[in-house]
Amino acid sequence: MLGYIIRRILAIFPVMLIVAIFVFLLLRLTPGDPAAIIAGDMATPEQLERIREAMGLNQPIHTQFITWMGRLLQGDLGTSLISGTPVTTMVGQRIFPTINLALLTIAIAVAIAVPMGVLAAWRHRSWVDYAVMSFSVLGFSVPVFVIGYIFILVFSIVLGWLPVQGYAAPADGFGEFLYRAILPALTLATIYIALIARMTRASMLEVLGEDYIRTARAKGVKESRVLFRHALRNAAVPILTVIGTGFALLISGVVVTESVFNIPGIGRLTVDAILARDYPVIQAMILITSATYVVVNLIIDISYTVFDPRIRY
Amino acid sequence: MLFKTRNFDDAKTVLTVQDLTVSLPPAAKAPPVLNRINLTIRAGETVCLVGESGSGKSVTSLAIMGLLPKDALFVTGGRITLSDTDLLAQPASAMQDIRARRVAMIFQEPMTALNPVMRVGDQIEEVLESHTSLSADERRKRVIDIMEQVHLPDVERIHRSYPHQLSGGQRQRIMIAMALVLEPELLIADEPTTALDVTTQQQILSLIAELQEKHGTAVLFITHDMGVVAEIADTVYVMKSGDLVEHAPIETLLRAPKQDYTQKLLRAVPSLIPRAARAAPGGDPVLKVDNLDMIYGGGGFFVKRPGTHAAKDVTFTVARGRTLGIVGESGSGKSTVARCIMRLIAPTAGSIRLRDTDIAHLNRAQLKPHRQHLQVVFQDPFRSLNPRWTVGRSLIEGPVNYGTSPRDAMARAAELMEIVGLPRDSLDRYPHQFSGGQRQRIAIARAVMMQPDVLVADEAVSALDVSVQAQVLDLLNDLQEKLGITIVFITHDLRVAAQICDDVLVMQRGVVVEQGPAAAVLANPQHDYTKSLIEAAPGRAWDFANFRELATA
Repeated sequence: MLGYIIRRILAIFPVMLIVAIFVFLLLRLTPGDPAAIIAGDMATPEQLERIREAMGLNQPIHTQFITWMGRLLQGDLGTSLISGTPVTTMVGQRIFPTINLALLTIAIAVAIAVPMGVLAAWRHRSWVDYAVMSFSVLGFSVPVFVIGYIFILVFSIVLGWLPVQGYAAPADGFGEFLYRAILPALTLATIYIALIARMTRASMLEVLGEDYIRTARAKGVKESRVLFRHALRNAAVPILTVIGTGFALLISGVVVTESVFNIPGIGRLTVDAILARDYPVIQAMILITSATYVVVNLIIDISYTVFDPRIRY
Repeated sequence: MLFKTRNFDDAKTVLTVQDLTVSLPPAAKAPPVLNRINLTIRAGETVCLVGESGSGKSVTSLAIMGLLPKDALFVTGGRITLSDTDLLAQPASAMQDIRARRVAMIFQEPMTALNPVMRVGDQIEEVLESHTSLSADERRKRVIDIMEQVHLPDVERIHRSYPHQLSGGQRQRIMIAMALVLEPELLIADEPTTALDVTTQQQILSLIAELQEKHGTAVLFITHDMGVVAEIADTVYVMKSGDLVEHAPIETLLRAPKQDYTQKLLRAVPSLIPRAARAAPGGDPVLKVDNLDMIYGGGGFFVKRPGTHAAKDVTFTVARGRTLGIVGESGSGKSTVARCIMRLIAPTAGSIRLRDTDIAHLNRAQLKPHRQHLQVVFQDPFRSLNPRWTVGRSLIEGPVNYGTSPRDAMARAAELMEIVGLPRDSLDRYPHQFSGGQRQRIAIARAVMMQPDVLVADEAVSALDVSVQAQVLDLLNDLQEKLGITIVFITHDLRVAAQICDDVLVMQRGVVVEQGPAAAVLANPQHDYTKSLIEAAPGRAWDFANFRELATA
């Protein structure tokens, strides 16, 4: 088991190396002169030459790569072409709001969706089941910005319970963080509630037909215990997969919600960088997103073994 | 003493079932699933409920437990009384408390009946948590105590184990421990040994008898195996499509069955006496296996692990038109040998000569021309036919792959349907429209479509009722005589092997321990393992089909 975890952690390195090579080549292999792309249409030859010099573009490609990798390993992701600040600093400022929002969103989604899915499976084909399924369809089909604006309209403008926009770090007080983050988290959670509830329901329906569920009932075990202790744990693997992938998706792309609620997260940083062709920042975002997926997948795989002792690598 | 002859006239009545009727929802407009069943079980008595699949045995047991599937089956009449408690009048919460405390149940498949992600000790303890207010220490003591009573070895270790780490027999002991930990008045055992090997079956049966004796438990034992019935029953009830047709003390029932249906059931029990030897074969062997070795696994990325030696130095030949039985318990390697012959897997070493070609190490493309000469029939006819294809489409797929025109193949399929005893229009229907026995006929027809030289039957009749089993065995025999097919018959059931095989090969842990003509091996076994297998066969002293003791016993 420990051997497996070590092997999986070691396997992260080749994966990340391939991602790094890809990110490096992204700029160098784009047709045309990278310096021209970066400088834009209005650049003078002198400006181009300065950019080439600054980025080391006049050196052979393998030298460029080694220099770039060397800096990367030291945590130097380059400097923003627009603001001139180091990318690491920019990302460092923006990533915590995004991570905090993602954690809150997933927590809300799991807390609501799992009981919903369990209930729907338990009362299969009853009104409860149909209600849960209808909600899922709704959660999937309404665009996230519509949900966001509806929540703002209802909870902030009409009822006046919550602020319209803005963000506060948990370090400044968890209450204040919750007060400001709850609406965006709920907005983001809608689609995950729909997804996780459906997955929970499907997985539970399958498990509830198993022989050991009949055994548990034959033992005179309480129904709630049958559902949550016997069935849910056996149904956990597909649910965990959805939760993990959901979390990774949240880290990499919550642009719309961040814009609607004016949260300084990396979603907006990415969009701004793309619009401004701020290549070092774009490169950093690709690296960070890939690393998130790799790490989240590792955590999902390890968590399987916690829930199902038959899974041993 | 051949049968149990205990008298229960003075014993306390534990369970009375009166005129019990169970029906499908009224909308289905179907006849009742159980039709006015009457049944009595007294303290210490073992009542066997026998009948073919679909006769209502399991529905009866689930009705007693109050566990009929919601919205699918309903009790529509009658009474179930457990020592003065009217079970049908109990609210759900009271019924929940009665389960495990007063009526407990064990099931057929010990693998699937235990929760795979919970330690078995915790699963037993859960019964105590749900029904008693014992402290954690006391609970643990009770769990260890009952685990010792069911003779589990190394109790401390098994207490911490998960079901997949235990053998089938150990799992069933856990189930029994779980059922008996609160000393219920009634134990319902639904085919508890069907999925087990004969030697394990014998151990589990004697364990149930021992604990029954000790605690005075009444046992309702559901089975379709007449051998088991002969071993354990005090009283037998026979069910047929929802009706109880006959009940009697065991000896009376086996000696003088009154109803035609009971007689038919008993006549279908295959005899342990091997079939009469057939004329010795002429010509070259069709299948010749030499020094076959199969090692699974091994290797490993960091640490070299030894593999599992599933077949060691297996050698045999089968001549045209003969049947070879490969007999053994689970883990003996018999299915591995079958898979190697079929070349579903590649053997580690050895040769497999089909007619004149060694197919043991051919690659996928080289194998293709030989595949049609090797066909297989699997155990579970419910899963071996594609449910979304018509029978006709399944049947012609193979020949069409090998270049026969669909029209010719369909004509051949129609002929085969008649040979296997199904109507021609079966070809347009889907597998779910057939019974288990019919589906196995279809699976056989599908194999025979390819006009194979060798037919491998892997536990092909094990999932079928005895009466259907006999018919399918007859069919295989007929086909063999008509078409000269060579059959390799993999089975754990010595009775079946005795009825169909010319030669028998007995395997234990990957090794062939004994081989020879069926008459010699089964009637006069030399190896201890073969002897123990035959001794463990339940009801071996009784000639069921003729309602009397075996002449030679």
